[in-house]
Amino acid sequence: MTKMLTKRTDQFSETAIDEEIVVMSLDSGDFFSLTGTARTIWQLIDGNRDRAALLTALAGHYGCEEAEIADDLDAFVAQLSQAGLIGNA
Amino acid sequence: MSAPRSPSQAMELMARETRAAYGPVPHGLDGIAIGPGFRLFAEGQFLLRCESGYGYHYAPGQGVTIERPPRGDPDEETLWLYGSVYSAVACLNGFYPLHASAIAVDGKVHAFTGPSGAGKSTLVAGLGQRGLPMFCDDTLLLDLSDPARIVALPGHKRLKLTPEALALTGTAAQQPVGAETGKSYVAPPAGDVREPLPLARLVFLEQGQVCQWQAIGGAERFARLADDHYTQDLYREAVRPDREMQFALRARLAAQVDMARLVRPISAEGFAASLDLAAARLGVAGKGE
Repeated sequence: MTKMLTKRTDQFSETAIDEEIVVMSLDSGDFFSLTGTARTIWQLIDGNRDRAALLTALAGHYGCEEAEIADDLDAFVAQLSQAGLIGNA
Repeated sequence: MSAPRSPSQAMELMARETRAAYGPVPHGLDGIAIGPGFRLFAEGQFLLRCESGYGYHYAPGQGVTIERPPRGDPDEETLWLYGSVYSAVACLNGFYPLHASAIAVDGKVHAFTGPSGAGKSTLVAGLGQRGLPMFCDDTLLLDLSDPARIVALPGHKRLKLTPEALALTGTAAQQPVGAETGKSYVAPPAGDVREPLPLARLVFLEQGQVCQWQAIGGAERFARLADDHYTQDLYREAVRPDREMQFALRARLAAQVDMARLVRPISAEGFAASLDLAAARLGVAGKGE
């Protein structure tokens, strides 16, 4: 059974400013400024999509092949996971 | 966050809590003693002991007690009272102080911030000569109790300028600011504002080769609020906000206040050019007298 990607909402604070989303890890105090694709991925992580569904949604959003963006998606998801901002449910 | 206050309630609160009287000041709070040159927030109170021998103690509902040393300098006394003590009292009563000097334009406050020596007071003096009244000098108090608006409280009635700033702005010195600051008090050329007003814009003063005014957008609005000035240190000591609270505060300011940077060379020509630029951006027509 695949696991859904979910935000660990007790681990961060976020705010939208203009076209950016600023996320702060409450644990480390590190900030992440999310723009463009990163912002879209962040918004698509809603607890109802696993990695495959996220990839499909992202490809649909940008009108590209899933293979073209899979590596970038995996890298960004790994970064968010490492920062403790998301997990699997 | 406290319940929303009306602007008049905010003014009354600060007037009441900053009333000062002379008397003995404790050497510590909550069992913690401090020596000259240190300050302490404890038990909701503030204690400052200056190296000169001046002492200040604030307790909610009791105002500020000043202990004056033998041969105390009244100018130094005023500096501490209107500086760190004023900001500390504000922090303990739910206000947020910014290290900024400000003017009022069409019923809104435009504040200039930057480290000491950045030219905040000088710019406000120059804009005063273009007809814009001073709102505050050096410390800008914000009332954030109403989520729908950020209200700024007017500050003290005089600017503090260095001899260089006096020459640049052509303003007349009144009396010296203390014995050692090298600054002089100056009456704001276009007068001052006495009532609270909404904060419209925060302008960060920077040095650079080319004079320019740039809007600050996106996450930089958020990041710029991390600039560490002494007022921020006081706020952290007084309120001890956790990361979530600090984030929410900065997010709110970033969302509700326009921000820009004013970059200019530090020179007479740079000052004149930046004054023209700021006046134009603030909608001040021509070079008023």
